[in-house]
Amino acid sequence: MSLLAIGDLRGGYGEVDILNGIDLTLEAGEILTVAGTNGAGKSTLAKALVGLLPRVAGTITLDGADITGVPTEGRARLGIGYVPQVSNVFPSLSVVENLEVVEGVAAPRARIAELMAAFPALAERRRARAGSLSGGERQMLAFARALMTRPRLMVLDEPTAALAPTLVAGAFARIKGLPALGAAVLLIEQRARQALAISDRGAILDGGRVALAGPAAALLADDRAAALYLGQAH
Amino acid sequence: MVFWIELLIAGLVSGLVIGLVALSITLVFGIARFPNAATGDTMTLGAYGALAGHAATGSMLIGGAIGALGGAAVGLAAYALVFRRLSNRSTVALLVASIGIGFIIRAGLSLAFGHTQQVFQVPLVRPWRFQGVRIHPNDLRLAATAIASLAVVFATLYLTPIGRRMRAVADDPALARVSGISPVRVMVALWLLAGAVAAVAGVILGLRTVVSPEMGWEMLLPGFAAAILGGIGNPAGAVVAGLIIGIAQEMATPVVGFTYKIALSFVVMLVVLLVRPRGLFGRVEGVR
Ligand SMILES: Nc1ncnc2c1ncn2[C@@H]1O[C@H](COP(=O)(O)OP(=O)(O)O)[C@@H](O)[C@H]1O
Ligand SMILES: [Mg+2]
Repeated sequence: MSLLAIGDLRGGYGEVDILNGIDLTLEAGEILTVAGTNGAGKSTLAKALVGLLPRVAGTITLDGADITGVPTEGRARLGIGYVPQVSNVFPSLSVVENLEVVEGVAAPRARIAELMAAFPALAERRRARAGSLSGGERQMLAFARALMTRPRLMVLDEPTAALAPTLVAGAFARIKGLPALGAAVLLIEQRARQALAISDRGAILDGGRVALAGPAAALLADDRAAALYLGQAH
Repeated sequence: MVFWIELLIAGLVSGLVIGLVALSITLVFGIARFPNAATGDTMTLGAYGALAGHAATGSMLIGGAIGALGGAAVGLAAYALVFRRLSNRSTVALLVASIGIGFIIRAGLSLAFGHTQQVFQVPLVRPWRFQGVRIHPNDLRLAATAIASLAVVFATLYLTPIGRRMRAVADDPALARVSGISPVRVMVALWLLAGAVAAVAGVILGLRTVVSPEMGWEMLLPGFAAAILGGIGNPAGAVVAGLIIGIAQEMATPVVGFTYKIALSFVVMLVVLLVRPRGLFGRVEGVR
């Protein structure tokens, strides 16, 4: 049984469907890259997964259990961690409050200590307002916040988009380490080549549909994928 | 000089009342995201609750507690019966609903207690004098009550888990849900707190002046002016701005006359909205 199975997923913000029937699976321990041009529906897919899309149809199962009727806060507690593309920390809360505020965490004190050890830069700034952090620190905090519940699945929406170029490699290394912490990763990325390089599989969205899907290595080698979606190799 | 110091003291006490009203308004605006026009009438309800409680028990402490609980209950009821159902609607829909709720509270109080002004039957105490400056012991007691209420609210916001969640929802409601925070629990806490704070303001105002069905409605303008001046959604800003407006109103009275005192709030509100919409202390994130 797949960790995550998405079947014929449709939906949108208003009358118009943005997602037009998406089928995807993700196995435990895997990293899946979801790529595609701007407006393809990647962020909308992420919102549908975490329960923030106003209108959805189709099925989403987590370890075989249908979660389509579970509200957003319930999905977080079921072990879906989500790092949105923008506004991914609580700016007026301190670093440590950003972690303390997460609900549904067993032994929160111990978990915060673990995450502070994993992200020493955050430990140094634990009393600072999250709004005052640098881009890199802010992203670490967003990761740590999403990891509080020891999630089975991390949904990351363009985690490198807001980073200074020098921090990108470090971010990919951090993402690569997530399966070892127990979380499979659905990685939405514009930097598709770099993302596929750390992924097991990839899917390319176009117009709210999966246009291409397969093992990451095969996608990287695929001329059509390269020409249409991945940009030039450097 | 003595005259101005006495005005300053009066301004501080009425500033604390305005600050409490503004705090209630700014909490609701920051977390539930609409201007709650029923805040003033919740105040009035608190004053009548205290009046009835005091008449029945003879204890001002119990009376005040009944007033505060009444305000909390009305806040919760307004949320459960109306605001919760409208939570996906526009700000305007919620504002209009709150005007309606305020009207219902006011009409209900008029029916139950009549239109005539009432006063708390508390003994008159002779003012103390320091270097000629008169200080009313009752004012001190009321100021202490206001400060204690503010301390409870700020301790709740900044030192408790539910307060942390309230601030998280004020920052970003979607991210709060993604972090496992149930919006309903936060809203229940918000409405209990906002209702009680408004009601305490009403009890204090009623004890200083008179209790009438319109008393709270008339405080809505200074309350909003202070909330805006303090940076809407910013709790500490609301209190400081309430003090500023309270003091300015009292000090201006000898200059502009009693009737124009209330116009000062309006001028403050207009100037802030035109010149610096974020208020003195700003509340940048969250409020959209
Ligand atoms: N909040 C929203 N309300 C209405 N339409 C939206 C909203 N967010 C995105 N869209 C629309 O949905 C489509 C897909 O957007 P999105 O999922 O953000 O694309 P991507 O993340 O792949 O760049 C776009 O046409 C966009 O205009
Ligand atoms: Mg996007």
